[in-house]
Amino acid sequence: MSQTQGLPASPTQSRSKKNLLVSDPPKFDLESYIANYKGRTRLERLILIGTCSSYLGVEALKLAVREAKKGKDIKRYLEAQNHLETIGPQEPEAIRDKAWIEKTEKQNQAETQRLEAELKGYKNNLIKESIRMGNEDLGKHYQAIGDLPRAFDSFSRMRQDVSMTKHIIDISQHLIGVAVEQKNWVAVSSNVQKIRGVMTSEDEQFLQPYLYTTEGLAFMDSGEYYNAALRFLQTQPGLGGTSAPGAIPGGSVCNTIISPNDVAVYGGLCALATMERNELHSQVLENSKFRTYLELEPHIRRAITFFVNSRYSACLSILEAYRTDYWLDIHLQKHIDEIYHLVRSKSIVQYFIPFSCVTLDSLNAAFVPAGKTIDKELAMMIQRKDLEARIDTQNRLLTSVPSAPRSALQTSTLETAKEYEREARRRIQHMNIVGADLEIKGGKRGGLAPIDDLFDNGRELRSRNTHPGGF
Amino acid sequence: MDNLLPNLLSFPPHPPRPTPMSDYLYDQGIRDQIDFVKKLADSKLLQQTSGGEDVLDVINPALNTVPYTFILLANLSALKKGTKGVDMDKIWGKMTTFLGTFDPRQIRYLGEQLSTIMEAVANIAVANRQPWMALAPIRDALLRLDPTGSMLTTHHLALVKLALESRSYKAIVPVIEKFILYFPGITNQPKPKYICDMSINPVQFITPTSGLTQKFKYQEVLEYFLYSGMVFIGLSNWEGALQCLENAVAYPAKEGSVSKIMAEAYKKWILVGLLHEGRLLSLPRSTSANAAKQYHTLAKPYETLAQIFENGTASRLKAEADQGVSVWQNDCNTGLVLHVLAAYQKFQIRNLANIYSKISIPEIVSQTMSAETGNKLPSPQAGEKLVQDMINQGELHATMSSSPGQPSVVTFAVSGPVLTEPEMQNELAAATERIHALTKEIKQTDRMLTHDKDYIKYVQKQKKNAKQGSLGDQGISGADMEWGDAIEDEDIMGSLY
Repeated sequence: MSQTQGLPASPTQSRSKKNLLVSDPPKFDLESYIANYKGRTRLERLILIGTCSSYLGVEALKLAVREAKKGKDIKRYLEAQNHLETIGPQEPEAIRDKAWIEKTEKQNQAETQRLEAELKGYKNNLIKESIRMGNEDLGKHYQAIGDLPRAFDSFSRMRQDVSMTKHIIDISQHLIGVAVEQKNWVAVSSNVQKIRGVMTSEDEQFLQPYLYTTEGLAFMDSGEYYNAALRFLQTQPGLGGTSAPGAIPGGSVCNTIISPNDVAVYGGLCALATMERNELHSQVLENSKFRTYLELEPHIRRAITFFVNSRYSACLSILEAYRTDYWLDIHLQKHIDEIYHLVRSKSIVQYFIPFSCVTLDSLNAAFVPAGKTIDKELAMMIQRKDLEARIDTQNRLLTSVPSAPRSALQTSTLETAKEYEREARRRIQHMNIVGADLEIKGGKRGGLAPIDDLFDNGRELRSRNTHPGGF
Repeated sequence: MDNLLPNLLSFPPHPPRPTPMSDYLYDQGIRDQIDFVKKLADSKLLQQTSGGEDVLDVINPALNTVPYTFILLANLSALKKGTKGVDMDKIWGKMTTFLGTFDPRQIRYLGEQLSTIMEAVANIAVANRQPWMALAPIRDALLRLDPTGSMLTTHHLALVKLALESRSYKAIVPVIEKFILYFPGITNQPKPKYICDMSINPVQFITPTSGLTQKFKYQEVLEYFLYSGMVFIGLSNWEGALQCLENAVAYPAKEGSVSKIMAEAYKKWILVGLLHEGRLLSLPRSTSANAAKQYHTLAKPYETLAQIFENGTASRLKAEADQGVSVWQNDCNTGLVLHVLAAYQKFQIRNLANIYSKISIPEIVSQTMSAETGNKLPSPQAGEKLVQDMINQGELHATMSSSPGQPSVVTFAVSGPVLTEPEMQNELAAATERIHALTKEIKQTDRMLTHDKDYIKYVQKQKKNAKQGSLGDQGISGADMEWGDAIEDEDIMGSLY
C-alpha cells in the first residue's frame, strides 16, 4: 500500500491521473511487455510508462520515439520527444527531428488530399462499395495520423453504404478501435451491441473474445467491476489468435487493444474485488475458459487461491507487490487503487466473519505494516456500512453487532404501518380540501405568475390578529 | 323564575327513561325546548329563584345544557350593558366550567351560542391581559364537541393564534396534535337526518350553517398548519412540528400556484427536519410537482444549509449560517438556525454510536466539531458536559463511566432502546387499531366520492362513450376518454387498498 507509493517529491500530490509518478521498478520487462501489442496502442502505452515511471521512463520514451517515427502521427512523436527532452536530454532520441516532422507533415497532407479527392470521385460515380472503401481508407489514414475525431466520423460514414453484415461488423470494429483510444466507452459498448445484433453463430466463434474483452473494458472504466469481471471470465480462449482454427480476423484486431495477459489480470482483479469466496472458486479457479488466460499470470491465480483459502494477508501482499505494474497499465491506472481498496475491505470483512470479537492488534498484524494502525480504516468501513461491527477504543476490540431479526422486523412493521397511516390520512385530507373547494387556484393570473398574491402581502397577513370568524 | 324552572328542565327527561329516546324524539324535543327558551326575555332568564339562588348555580350544565347556555348568554349581555348584580368573575368561572362540562349532544343544536361563549371567553382573557387563561377552556370545548379532532373549525385557528400571542403552547397540544381530515364547506357530504345522531361524522354537524364554525379561505387553512407547526417548534417537539408543516407543504395547489405560506412552511420544515432526523428530508409524495420546483428556488439558502449539515464540516456550516444571517432574520428563522447549529455536534456524537461501542471523552472531542464556534470543544470537560446532557435528555443511548485520574469513557448502547416483547405487542396492536379506524374513514370517503354528483356524471359520460366506441366510433372519443382518466382525481385512493 502506502510504502510502494512513489511520491517522494510531494506527498500531498494527488495520486490520480496525470500526476502519478512511480519510482519503483516494475516486475515486467519492457521489451517483452510491449511485444504483446500491435498498432497504435504500443505508442500510447510507451508514452504512459515513460511519463509515469521514473525507473523505466527514459527507456520507454526512447522506444516511443523510435516507434513514433515508424508511423505518421506527429503529435504523438512530439509528445514522446518533449517528455524525453525533459528527463533524458542526453539521449540521441531527445533531439527533435525537424526534417522528419516536415517530411511527414507533407506526406500526411498529400495523402489526406489524395484520399479525399478519391472519395469525392467515388461519390460522383455513386458506386456504393467504392464510397464505403474510400471512407474506410480515409478513416484509417486519419487514425494513423492521430486525428481521432475525424477518423471516427469517416468510419461512421461507412455505415451509409453497407451491403453485407460483414461490413457492419467491420465498421463497428473500426469504431471500437478509435473509441478505445479516445476512451469513449459509451461508443465502445454501443458498437459491441451493434455487432451482437447482426453476427451469425459462425462469426461469433471468432468475435467472442473480442466482444467480451472490449465490453469488459467498458464496464471496468465505468466502475462496474462485477460486470467487467463476468465479461472477462467468459472470454473464450483464442484471444491471441493462435489457438483458434483458421484465419481469425478478430485475433489481430485484439492485439491492438488488449493482450491475453491483460485479460487474466483485469478479470482476476475485478473478480477479486467483487465476488464472494464461493463465487471466486467456481467462476474463476474452476473456469475452464478462463484458465488458459490465468495460466499466463500465475500470481493472480495465487492471489485468488489465497483469498479463497482465507489467507488474506498473503493475497494482499501479492497484489501489493504488483501494484507498480498496474499503475503503469493504461486501463488499470485509474482503477487500481479503487480495486485494491475493495479487495482489502472485503478481506477485512471476511476475516471478521467467523468472530464476534477481535482485538484491533490482531487486525493490525494481519492487514497493516508495522507501526501503522487500522483504526481509521475500520471506522470508515463501518460508516459506509461495509462492516457490521463496533469499535471499542478503550479495550481495543472490534465487536460484531448482534443481529435481532425479530425486533428489526417488528420495528420495520411499525414503521410501515406509520407510513401507511400518514399517507392515507394525507390523501383523505387532500380530497376533503378539494371537496371543500379550498385548494389553491392560480388560474386567474395565467401561468406567468405562479406565486399568488400572498407573496406580496403575506407578512401583513401573518401579523393580522383579528380573524373574521375568530374571537 | 320558579315557575319557569320545570319548563326549562323538561328536556332531556330526568331521570332518563329506561329505553333511550329515538333520534327522532330527541330532535323534536330539543328543538321545541330551544324555541321555548329563545322566546323568553333576558330579564326573565336573569331572575333568581325564590330561595335567592342564582339559576346558574341551580341548573347542571352537563344535563340541561340548553337552558344553561341561554341563561349564560343573558348574563353575558347584561354584563356588557353594565347591569348591576352581574359579577364578572363569577360569569368567567361559570363560562369556563360550562366549556368543560356541556353535553356534546345538545350542544350540536347550539352552534352560534357556543361560538359566542368561546369568543367571549377569549375576549375577556385578552382584555385582562391574561390570554393564556382562555386556552384550556376553549381546548376542552373543542375536544368535547368533536373528540376525534379531525375537523378544522375557525375556532381552531383562533385558538392557535391566541396561544402564539400569549406564548403558552403546552395547553393546546391535545388539539393541534390531531390530524385534520375535514374542512368546513365540504359540499359532497350527505345531509344527516338528525344531527343528534351520535354516530355521524363531525363534518356532518359542524357546518357553517350550524354556527359551530365559519367558512374558510385556503390562506386560513394554511395559516392553521403553519401556526400549529410553530407551536410545536416552540415546544421543541420536532416530530409534531414536521407533521403540521408537512400538511402545509403538501397542500394541494392547482396550476402551479404556490402560496407564500407554503414556502414559509417549507423553510421551517427543512430546518425542523434537520433537527429531527439530521438530514434533508425528501418531500412528501403528494406534494405537487410545481410547488416542489418553486420551493427549490425560493428556499435555496435553506437547502444549502441542510446539505452542508448532512455532508459538510462544522466550520462550513457555521460560515454558511453566518452568510445567511439576513435571510434567516427576514424569515424569522434565526432561532431555528441557532438550534440547528447546536444540534450539529450532537448528531455527530450520535453517529459515533454507529461506529464505536466504547470511546473516551477526549476521543469524542477530537473527532467532532461544534458548529456554533466552528471549532473543536475547548476542553474534555465541555465534551463531558455535552454528552452528559444528551444522555440526560434521552438524545443518546449510552452510559458514561469515569474513574479517577483517567478520562471518562462513554459506552454506547448497541442498537438504541429495544422494546420489550409486551411493549412491542401493544405498539403493534395500537397500530392495527389505528389502521382499522382509518380504513373506515377511507371507506366513507370512497363512498362519498362514488356518490359525488360530478363523479356520477363522469361515469355516465364514460358509459356513453364506451357504448359509442363499440358502435365503431374510434379515435377522437377514445382519446377524449383517456384525457378524462388522467384529469380525474377519483382513483386517488386506489393505491391504498
